[in-house]
Amino acid sequence: MNNTELKLQIKRLLVENLMLQTTPEEIADDIPMFGPGGLGLDSVDALQLVVALDKNYGLKISDAEAARGILRNVNTISEAIEQNLSNKAP
Amino acid sequence: MSSRVILITGANGGLGQAIARSFLQESPENQIWLGIHARLDDAEKLAAENPGRCRPIALDVTRPDSWKAAVAEILARHEQLDVLVNNAGHHQDALLGAMPLDAWKKILAVNLDGVFHGCQAVLPAMIGRRHGRIINIASLSALLAPAGQTNYAAAKAGVLALTQSLAKEVARIGITVNAVCPGYVDTPALAMDELERKRALERIPMRRFGQPGEVAAAVRFLACAEAGYITGSALKIDGGIF
Repeated sequence: MNNTELKLQIKRLLVENLMLQTTPEEIADDIPMFGPGGLGLDSVDALQLVVALDKNYGLKISDAEAARGILRNVNTISEAIEQNLSNKAP
Repeated sequence: MSSRVILITGANGGLGQAIARSFLQESPENQIWLGIHARLDDAEKLAAENPGRCRPIALDVTRPDSWKAAVAEILARHEQLDVLVNNAGHHQDALLGAMPLDAWKKILAVNLDGVFHGCQAVLPAMIGRRHGRIINIASLSALLAPAGQTNYAAAKAGVLALTQSLAKEVARIGITVNAVCPGYVDTPALAMDELERKRALERIPMRRFGQPGEVAAAVRFLACAEAGYITGSALKIDGGIF
């Protein structure tokens, strides 16, 4: 899977898991997940997202500081997934 | 009714046993896990009577690592955990002036910290399926705190607050969190002499103690699909004490 496909998959995951009232295609790669200028997610959404990323990609986000870095936008999530996959590669 | 995976803590006690039996009767498909710590004879007997449907599992509710191991074992077998009944509880009554600090800490650890650890342990699995039922066994002492139970009443009142707060956090994920507040229930834990029983009965408008099965029925209802719009509630089961 290339990076573009991965980002689209992440956007679908966001829409389906968090029941966002938007389409995956409308989510920009760099739109902030949290705050009024972004998707407007809150801490409960973040919790769901952490569980979904673990379930779908085996990405374990162990603490709040790591979550703040990874869950900034689609770009940072896809980077974390790719990094995690490359760390696991033999 | 489809198969559900249910974990009940404090499953060796009279109330835990009744709750387990109630879920066993609800559906032959239900998978019951009996969380047990110090005593296990009754839980092992119940499991032996229901092979393949009911299993004891070691669980010290005061320890997060024990919760983690228990939930991992359940998920390894079923890949789901639908219902958590936080039933484990203990009381060690004393007037506050004479209450040892250990009695305060121990009762808070089992009755309140245990519920916190349990909810935290099961939430990822429930969030992953966007479905779950958490039922916390509080107590009438949380609402009408009697003398001599500052530790127990405070812990159970904390359980009610935790229940309400968590219910709001996870409502939109399809997880409900409710509490029941039993009054005097006729289990070995009631441990009253004849005079104490007589005085207690005088306080109960129904003039009888509750039966474990009556509490279990309420727990089973709060866990069922039809109770899906009930969350953050505290249901009194006390024969009408106000």
